[in-house]
Amino acid sequence: MRGPYTDPSVYVAPSEAPPSRRPPITSVGPLGWLRANLFSSKINSAATILMGALVVWFLWGFLSWSVRSAQWGVIYHNLRLVTSGLYDRREIWRMELVAGILTLLSGLGLGVWGRVSRGVFIAVLVILLILVVVPVLAARVPEPTIYLLVEPQRAPSDFVFVGLRGQEASFAFDPLTDAQDTDERLLGFVENQSRTEWAIRAAEARAGDLDLGQYNLAVTLRLLDRQGKPLTPQAGSAPGDFAGGPAGGTLSYTLPADGWYVLEVRRDDSVNGAAGDNAGYAWIRVQGVETFASQEAAAQARAEQFGAPPAVERALFADENSYRFEGARSVAEFFSLQVAPLFSRIAMPCFVGALLFFNGWVIGVLGKREKAVRRAVLGGWILSAPAILIILRGFEGSRALPLVPTSVWGGLLLTILLTVVGIVASFPLGVALALGRRSELPAIKWTCTLFIETVRGVPLITILFMAKQIVPFFWSALSGLDLTIRMMIGVTLFSAVYLAENVRGGLQIIPHGQIEAARALGLNPPLTMTLIVLPQALRAVIPAIVGQFISLFKDTSLVAVVGLFELVGIVDRIVSGQTIYRPYQREAYIVIAVIYFVISYAMSDVSRRLEQSGAGSIRRL
Amino acid sequence: MAETNASEPIIRCHAVNKWFGNFHVLKDVDLDVMPQEVVVIIGPSGSGKSTFIRCINRLEEHQEGQIIVDGIELSHDVRNIAAIRSEIGMVFQQFNLFPHLTVLDNVALAPRYVRRQPRRTAEEIALQLLERVGIPEQARKYPGQLSGGQQQRVAIARALAMQPKIMLFDEPTSALDPEMIKEVLDVMKQLAQSGMTMLVVTHEMGFAREVADRIVLFDEGRIVEMGTPEHFFTNPQHERTKLFLSQIL
Repeated sequence: MRGPYTDPSVYVAPSEAPPSRRPPITSVGPLGWLRANLFSSKINSAATILMGALVVWFLWGFLSWSVRSAQWGVIYHNLRLVTSGLYDRREIWRMELVAGILTLLSGLGLGVWGRVSRGVFIAVLVILLILVVVPVLAARVPEPTIYLLVEPQRAPSDFVFVGLRGQEASFAFDPLTDAQDTDERLLGFVENQSRTEWAIRAAEARAGDLDLGQYNLAVTLRLLDRQGKPLTPQAGSAPGDFAGGPAGGTLSYTLPADGWYVLEVRRDDSVNGAAGDNAGYAWIRVQGVETFASQEAAAQARAEQFGAPPAVERALFADENSYRFEGARSVAEFFSLQVAPLFSRIAMPCFVGALLFFNGWVIGVLGKREKAVRRAVLGGWILSAPAILIILRGFEGSRALPLVPTSVWGGLLLTILLTVVGIVASFPLGVALALGRRSELPAIKWTCTLFIETVRGVPLITILFMAKQIVPFFWSALSGLDLTIRMMIGVTLFSAVYLAENVRGGLQIIPHGQIEAARALGLNPPLTMTLIVLPQALRAVIPAIVGQFISLFKDTSLVAVVGLFELVGIVDRIVSGQTIYRPYQREAYIVIAVIYFVISYAMSDVSRRLEQSGAGSIRRL
Repeated sequence: MAETNASEPIIRCHAVNKWFGNFHVLKDVDLDVMPQEVVVIIGPSGSGKSTFIRCINRLEEHQEGQIIVDGIELSHDVRNIAAIRSEIGMVFQQFNLFPHLTVLDNVALAPRYVRRQPRRTAEEIALQLLERVGIPEQARKYPGQLSGGQQQRVAIARALAMQPKIMLFDEPTSALDPEMIKEVLDVMKQLAQSGMTMLVVTHEMGFAREVADRIVLFDEGRIVEMGTPEHFFTNPQHERTKLFLSQIL
């Protein structure tokens, strides 16, 4: 077809343009997007499939590990340390107060200056709902088995646990008399020492160095209440009698009341003759008993609820720290064992926070048009900085607010504090250095250049060490200064010089015509700088500046090397200082990585919004 | 500040010399401009005409000679420079609007911060000026959203907002699409009719012929010929003038 041409030499289009038609289905919509972006060429398709497979493979591996076998308890048992470091435990309410103040002010600020889409509102409600629903649903998931090893070398411990009324607890005694028993895969909490012991013995049995068939244990199980009164009959009467011989059996009992219980485990050495004649290994499998967070938590929370735990000679508590999970969890178990404990810990603070935020938001929205309210919110934000520092630090000798020295501030608190102080202080300093470096007065210019180049040529870690040791050595007035404050100064100076270079880059792209136009209008140099040049220059370098702030945020982790326990430092202290958490370094560091990522991503998201908001026409100079 | 006298020149330039490094840009330029006069400066590129009018509001500094604007001599005294700049509005070839401010803020900025007018007053005046240049409906937009012609009209309004006695135009239409030149020239004509003293560097001969009281031809840093449009277009004397006109007409 030749189109509308009939005479190739002359063509006049019809007076009306043809109506627009819809584009073909393969070029618009999701299908069109896929085709245009992911499968536009053979190489593109191959890359899409390859990279997609790689990402799916990696994510699958990570997710299945974190659901099936990772132990996140290292973080949620240590939430206080992670958030506030070694901050005085009795004064922790001050942290909560500060968090409350900030949440309220954020709500007010959002109400006055911001806008909330309905989606965000619904998302918050959904999250709150999940925080409540997960622990409730998780309570219905059956508890995993607890394994205790009875062995000849070690006198067995009594197993102490908290039971609830109507709970059906069962204790199975399972002698290991066959080499094939070593193949049995465990699924549940295995007591730590049993785990290492059995790992050795099972290997010996498999190698033929140990004959499991020589079983000769006389063991009696009996359930006692808190006062030591037997609830089940002892050896001799069914079904609690496992004394003598390679016999197994199960002891089941419906608990009569809430409170502490003890499973008494006795090995009757007299039956086997002289000590040392004992032989053989057996698992005690406990089912229907809930493990609790940690012995420390038990001592506090459970004691309040059920009284002090019963006094037993060799007690083994049903707390998670004494056990390690073996085998692969189901998704339901992941939620009941890993997610629910965390959620039930953070649900209450989250609700209080959401309530404060919402109240602040409502007040903000209602008072948006009143100048007094706007001023009050702005003033509140400005005043909050010194107020927070005073609340957290307190005063020497004060009873209401006793001094908490900054050296014990740690965890996320210290990380955020260093970051915020670093940003707030390095921004004006960086801008001033950038302007100084572009100054027409050589004395100022050279001084600023020298300072920038010197600090930029030194690694941050060196600056921090200098702030810690060398500077006070030369300048004795500084040795009295708090280490935390010296670190703040070090981080600020380091960040400021990089910021100065970024800002200088922004200043250079402002065309000279802008300055000429401002001067022609009669604006003096300070006004030209603050009204015309800086707003444009800073806007142009927002991505670089925010990038600098993000790296400042991450670089605060270096203060760990001079002995401050910020987020990384405190987690390192947890996993290397407390033996029970040593196996869970992976989990701990992954959680820190996630915390760092979430905050960094939020910062870069804010930067993107700043770039797009308002007079985004900088690109069309 | 001296009282403006209709019989006295408002701008007096006497033996103005300027060098860029070793390059002699302006050579003994003498020019007096009367109040309400429209002077159009033409000439080939590099002849120093832009530099000359930029010297008048001290965007460039002359090294020898005298420039007296409204009775104030341009010197190193910062107060003099500020006083003179507030008397002179300037419109640039590249508009030089402030891209981070709305059109309204662009116009109201200088009155607010230099004249210290209250925001409301400054914005009312700015809106009136935008109406005068024919784009009141664009007040809330950013410069980047406007066409070149509209931007240049905003630039004129911005210069007028300081209520200057003199307006300098540095090739105001050279960066515009042909279709937009007319709207800017119309605003300038209207301004000339209202009695504004104007110095205009331009290549628009139609504008020069119609509006100018006097035309000045610059070449190699000096004034080659000066006269009424009639003189210029019908009876040019200097060889250089004849050559220049023959090439652009």
